Amino acid sequence: MPNVTVIAKPLLQKNDQIAAANRRLLESHGIVGINVMSAPGSGKTTLLQKTIEVLGAARCAVLVGDLQTTRDADRLAATGAPVVQINTGRGCHLTAAEVADGLASIDLSGRAFLFIENVGNMVCPAGFALGEHRNVVLMSLPEGDDKVAKYPTLFQAADVVLLTKIDLAGVMEFDEQRMRDDLALVNSRAPQVRLSTKSGDGFQAWIDWLNGQTGRAPSR
Amino acid sequence: MHELSIAAGLLAQVEDLAKANGLIRIGVVRIAVGVRRQVVPESLDMAFEAVSLGTSAEGAKLEQTEVPMQARCRGCGADYAPTLRDFRCPSCGQAAADITAGDDITIASLTGETED
Repeated sequence: MPNVTVIAKPLLQKNDQIAAANRRLLESHGIVGINVMSAPGSGKTTLLQKTIEVLGAARCAVLVGDLQTTRDADRLAATGAPVVQINTGRGCHLTAAEVADGLASIDLSGRAFLFIENVGNMVCPAGFALGEHRNVVLMSLPEGDDKVAKYPTLFQAADVVLLTKIDLAGVMEFDEQRMRDDLALVNSRAPQVRLSTKSGDGFQAWIDWLNGQTGRAPSR
Repeated sequence: MHELSIAAGLLAQVEDLAKANGLIRIGVVRIAVGVRRQVVPESLDMAFEAVSLGTSAEGAKLEQTEVPMQARCRGCGADYAPTLRDFRCPSCGQAAADITAGDDITIASLTGETED
């Protein structure tokens, strides 16, 4: 049996091909895809609940990834927006194929935003395109001020960085200047928004940023 | 352990490519791995070995070449090589990098046996 070497054209990983198809699907509906990433517990679901209340459920759709349970989807569905819970089982991040499956069950017409709440994890999601146009990275104050230095790849990819739970500022030790210095090394282009969904401080700046992303030429 | 989903995606493509080229048994798979993907080579080896059991790629050797990062500055347009911890442009100092290389995983070639 002869041995043969096949030279492949540079073959992009399957995930990236599916991600590109997802992106085209969203664009055909005029939808901006927003990939929301952070550690577990930094407030992604609460942020999205409040965000959908402000933007209006009819303009939004949500895919939410978790290893187990439909708890996040149940919370988000209460807003009235269509929500698909993706249980990844053992998967520590969403994949483009899972997003494609989720999109197939949502009526996208008339929507402006697709929020993809990724699995809480600061390493794996950064390496998997899903079809998003923008990356949102959250970091909550109780997580500590060294998150950027420890997970630079995730923060480098951010189009906006949200520092959440700032209502805890008097309670937690958190050196914001240290965080900003670390961020300056990896990403000086992403705007930084300090906010609290509890007090409402800073929330409007986040909504303004979101509204600024619609109707623009997608950058990725 | 994101290497497992990378390995599963790779295997699907390797099998397609083998089939299209009449390879019945795959000996070597050569891939180029962008450094930004944060792949641990040993983990990817292990994952590929596990997912390829019972396929035409069972026992195949995975040869991984690491591709360093290249970036273009959104601020001034300069091309440069950032590191995973420092993305500042050497020309203008901004950290506004569009990654132009080192962010992909690609299959470069396969070697295997054909039927005749």
